[in-house]
Amino acid sequence: MRATPVYIICSPRPLVGKTLIARLLSEFLLLKNGAVTAFDINLKEPSLLDYLPDVTETAEVDDTFGKMALMDRLIVNDGIAKVIDLGFHAFDEFFKMTEEIGFLKEAARRGVSPVIMFIGDTDRVSARSYPLLQRQIPATSLVTIDNEYVVRGELPPVFAHGKVFRIAALPVFLKTYIDRLTFSFSDYLRNERDSSTELHQWIRENYLHFREIELNLILQGS
Amino acid sequence: MAKPVVIVVGADKGGVGKTTVSRTVLDYFSANNVPTRAFDTESPRGTLKRFHPDITEIVDMTTTSDQMKIFDTLNSVSPSVTVIDVRAGLLSPALASLRDIGFLDAAKSGQITFAVFHILGPSIASLDEIAETANFMTGAKYFLVKNFINDTQFFQWDQATYNSYFHRIKDATELTIPKLNEMAYEQVEVASVPFLKFVANKGPAEEAANYSFVLRGYVRHWLANVWSEFDRIKLTDLVGTGKPSARGGEK
Repeated sequence: MRATPVYIICSPRPLVGKTLIARLLSEFLLLKNGAVTAFDINLKEPSLLDYLPDVTETAEVDDTFGKMALMDRLIVNDGIAKVIDLGFHAFDEFFKMTEEIGFLKEAARRGVSPVIMFIGDTDRVSARSYPLLQRQIPATSLVTIDNEYVVRGELPPVFAHGKVFRIAALPVFLKTYIDRLTFSFSDYLRNERDSSTELHQWIRENYLHFREIELNLILQGS
Repeated sequence: MAKPVVIVVGADKGGVGKTTVSRTVLDYFSANNVPTRAFDTESPRGTLKRFHPDITEIVDMTTTSDQMKIFDTLNSVSPSVTVIDVRAGLLSPALASLRDIGFLDAAKSGQITFAVFHILGPSIASLDEIAETANFMTGAKYFLVKNFINDTQFFQWDQATYNSYFHRIKDATELTIPKLNEMAYEQVEVASVPFLKFVANKGPAEEAANYSFVLRGYVRHWLANVWSEFDRIKLTDLVGTGKPSARGGEK
């Protein structure tokens, strides 16, 4: 049986595009596999739950009960990909807990493939947090997201060692368009006949990145 | 033939985690393949027996017959380590009994290896026990166990008080038991299995269990920290097995 991917989208900083990437990825997985389970640990920021209420559950890591409810679901190899939109306020607690409970080792044992998607930024908190993740997470499971909307120009060198996946910035009017709660990336691809539009290409390019990450997972597992 | 080893775990105060520490010691020896037997003096209930029923016997240490059961068999039984979980309030009387029957003299002369794990609570009364217990400790290995069952600091914020207790006894070794997540602790209580079995997701009869992965993770992490303390004090050296190699619980 193929390993079940668990995508954790994270940053210790607010408003860097975590929910946008979680939305994109969830829609991609939904389009490709027909199923995805998303967890929103992001209630203090724009919420994934508002965009994809049918596939999203809220979760928390503030107490042990919340951690159990979340992690005991993530560690199951049930073939349904999981996406976690991890709020900046939960970043430290989440990764402290995963280290303590040996999440990555147990995941490997149970046929679950975690992929940590860290959104890079130019601030000191991000620069300090990234090496801590590198210590805990194997390079093959750690992807840095270079969101052009957040980092104009080059990513700081601290993020340049591992895999980097770049998301181009959209013009403001398109950003406003995709930020509407009723907007769906996959529906747009299905319904927009002109595949040359900037948004069409932007979505396809990002879906292609996700497909590459998936392929890497399959290659690692084979 | 190896010398018999007797480890007494006790405190004169209740609720400081004597049985919890005894359980970690039993798990530690089990993981290091050291045959062990245990006596639970919480007669007639026996909390330790609930977790380690196969190797634990409930005794009443105040009776001569049960004292005979423990000490007259030290050389004749195969387990080289005997762990005695002394119930609250009985530590000083138990040590007095050991002195009276000549056990402490035997330890002093090297016929028996004797160690005391004195579990401390976060109160001056608990620390006062140190001096009282120390009177019996000639020839024994004395471990002062700071069990962090809550966020207590053991007076470390007041160096004068701390030093007056913890540095009063020469040759006493300090040992720290970190705090275990409350829910994880409760889940192991409910499961009534040794910590090792809980980590391995097994029930009392070795059957597969379904404990929370998160809670198992917390217990594994905590147990590893406790055992690293046992490694630090070279607990296996008491039995003469030297440095522990690959352990069952770490595989």
